[in-house]
Amino acid sequence: MLGYKDFVGVDLCVCPNKKDKMKFILNMHDKVRHLFKKDGKFGAVGPIFDAADTFMFTPDHRTGSGAHVRDAIDMKRVMMTVIYAVLPCFFFGIWNAGHQYNVVNAVAEAGNAFIASDVFAAAFLNDVIRGLIIMLPILIVSYAVGGFWEVLFSCIRKHEINEGLLVTGFLFPLILPPTIPLWQVAVGISFGVVIGKEIFGGTGMNIVNPALLSRAFLFFAYAKSMTGDVWVAHVAGAPVVDAVSGATPLGFVASLPEGMTLLQAIELGHVDFMQMFLGVIPGSIGETSTLACLIGAAVLLITGVASWRIMLATVIGLLSTGYLANFIGDSPMAQLPPYYHLVAGGFAFGAIFMATDPVSAAATNAGKWIYGFLIGMLVIIVRVANSGFPEGVMLSILFMNLMAPLIDSFVVDAHVRRRKRRA
Amino acid sequence: MDFKIKKGFDIALAGKPDVDIVNIKSSATVAIYPLEFRGLRQRLKVAEGDIVQRGSELMEDKGNVDFKLRAPAAGKVISIVRGARRFVEKIVIEVATVDKAEEFQKFSEAGIKGLDRKVILDQLTTTGFLALIRQRPFSNMADATVTPKSIFVNAMNTGPFQADAEAVVVDDPEAFQAGLDLLTKLSNGPVHLCMDANESGQTLLAAKNVETHTFRGPHPSGNTTVHISRIAPMGIHDVVWFVKAVDVVLLGRLFLDGTIPTSRIVSLGGPLVKEEARHHYRIHAGGELGGLLKESLTDEAARVLDGDILSGVAIEEDAHLRFGQSAITVIKEDKERNFIGWTMPGFNQYSFMRLVASSFLPFLRKRWSLGTNMHGEERAMVLTGHYDKVMPLDIMTDFLIRAVLAGDTDEAISLGILETDPEDFALCDFVCPSKIEVQDIIQKGLQDIEEEGV
Repeated sequence: MLGYKDFVGVDLCVCPNKKDKMKFILNMHDKVRHLFKKDGKFGAVGPIFDAADTFMFTPDHRTGSGAHVRDAIDMKRVMMTVIYAVLPCFFFGIWNAGHQYNVVNAVAEAGNAFIASDVFAAAFLNDVIRGLIIMLPILIVSYAVGGFWEVLFSCIRKHEINEGLLVTGFLFPLILPPTIPLWQVAVGISFGVVIGKEIFGGTGMNIVNPALLSRAFLFFAYAKSMTGDVWVAHVAGAPVVDAVSGATPLGFVASLPEGMTLLQAIELGHVDFMQMFLGVIPGSIGETSTLACLIGAAVLLITGVASWRIMLATVIGLLSTGYLANFIGDSPMAQLPPYYHLVAGGFAFGAIFMATDPVSAAATNAGKWIYGFLIGMLVIIVRVANSGFPEGVMLSILFMNLMAPLIDSFVVDAHVRRRKRRA
Repeated sequence: MDFKIKKGFDIALAGKPDVDIVNIKSSATVAIYPLEFRGLRQRLKVAEGDIVQRGSELMEDKGNVDFKLRAPAAGKVISIVRGARRFVEKIVIEVATVDKAEEFQKFSEAGIKGLDRKVILDQLTTTGFLALIRQRPFSNMADATVTPKSIFVNAMNTGPFQADAEAVVVDDPEAFQAGLDLLTKLSNGPVHLCMDANESGQTLLAAKNVETHTFRGPHPSGNTTVHISRIAPMGIHDVVWFVKAVDVVLLGRLFLDGTIPTSRIVSLGGPLVKEEARHHYRIHAGGELGGLLKESLTDEAARVLDGDILSGVAIEEDAHLRFGQSAITVIKEDKERNFIGWTMPGFNQYSFMRLVASSFLPFLRKRWSLGTNMHGEERAMVLTGHYDKVMPLDIMTDFLIRAVLAGDTDEAISLGILETDPEDFALCDFVCPSKIEVQDIIQKGLQDIEEEGV
């Protein structure tokens, strides 16, 4: 057994052996480094070399002015932490996309029996493989096209490639329906990165969340690919087993079949809280499982990367408005118990990963409460008032992204007035 | 009164200096660095080869000819080093065997209590010791033509590492009390003596004729800005003076002896200082540091700092002691490149945030041998809220920085920049994941405002 004493003073990160093994990469980089300097042969694409170089080895920059020692954390690590936090959603999303496909298209569950003798394992493998076939191309297109724009702008502006794209390019595929055509993925991420971020000056300057803007663009430009019967792919000619299993629970509530009440829908299991919480339902690839989102939330909150104020305020805003809707509304959506809204649609994913984006969210502490609360409130309003957009989360967050500077400005003004009174 | 500061962060740097005082035998040369006196318009009064007494005039301020820099020891001027735009950077004096000192006015302890404000200021100005007292806003040398609202004496050392006030004061309690008595004459308001609630001893607590306050909590609870903001926040037209407790001893000595003090006490600490050498040292004013550092440092490439790791200034290893210097901290120059460091668990990485393994396993290492590595490259500023976690002042750091970067001095002033000093933002430098130089930005903001006039 190793005790903690065995680790004291041991350089686990750069243990001498590993460093020697990796040294050849550093030597290789050092050999060509001069070519990528500003006036070097490949100076124009210097940022690409820089990104690869600092990807392999942390940079050797030293402090000059200011504090002489610095925290070990940099933006790379912060951004990677977000990606680690999204991984549960990512893996669950892959399985679920495959699972929904196989259920709807009644693919024989023993299809891969030759790989695994166990029937359940075979089904699981089947789902995962199908999920990968759906998901990987979308992810690759998102990263490749988004990365192209990011690198292009970095080279033109001659600054380092910012790591923000790692997150944008990873979140975007997770909020898309599995049936999205790949060319739309490319168009969407291009719009989000270029119009949403780069024209404002790049990472840190954008007003709205680029991943959400990409999705909103697709939602309005190619509505047919983003709404209706898009959540599970049908194979032409394959027998459709369950007519309603292709609809999301939210979509189902928004347009209940004639004669069916909300209560009946819940009793019949079309809207099942536990299923929605676990996420074994049709929906955007990565956002169906509230459980997976909660695991991510735990990572973000423990590491302090995302704001707990925004997350909590969003939930409070949603629940309080939801109860209010119960009182005053009479449509099935208004009558839906508010806690269903927590697990429905993209709420959990949006509140945890999208609303907390520090660039586009409110930056003041008081502002974060207001910003979060209003997002929660708007989600209910959109869902209840307009059943055409049952997925109000994206629109609510985007709208509040636009409002965030205004909220901050009010908070800062109040702060300044308080200072003046004191003086 | 006792004040509790909640926000902030104590950097667990290895190499804290012991509080005992080691005497260093006399120095062969002494030096003075005129550029240390910010705003001084130099007029040199000596040439190489001149013989000077301790207290002889070396330089005067063209803007205020009463203000003079004086020789810290008797001897021969052997070198005048000039730098950019022919500014004098350093005047070096070879110390003579016989110490002859120029006499200034000398007072008894009782006599000091009856002194006139003008007499005190005249003596401080003509000896250059006024430079030990600084003034808010802008943290420049105190302006003898204004009367401050109050004076803050800082007897804390929360930044790693500063000279221990108690240790220095215990060494010469009469001079400390005499210095405090002098200060009480300089302001119509009170003199506030601020000290650490846990580490201050009897001598500090026994100080008379001043208001004593204790502070507890992580750095920057020891910063003067924090003290001012908690005890008596500055209004927009207020002027406040502040001085380090370890410098008050020198002020007292100047008036008790009537000559320029010959020595001062300096702490030597940091991870690169050998364990047996981490002490406080009594060094000749302006004396050589080279010998001491040569004996005290380990072999690694080092950065020697005048002051602490947060706001100190890098100095050469063969430098002389600066006029206002009371601490030497030595850390390693670190150019290590870690393989895929952005995703390694980070058992050997030190962070304020819970993003590395070591943050969850604090028992692995209590004190860290931190170096000068940036641990990253500069990135776009993202309002992650990390600054607020280390900022105990009622300041919206993110928005203040933005206002300065946008050149909006009015907004910066209404956000309270005039109440601050760049050192208050040192921890922001430290924690910033985008590696933004926050202290530099604030410094620039203050400079712009000073040039424009408020």
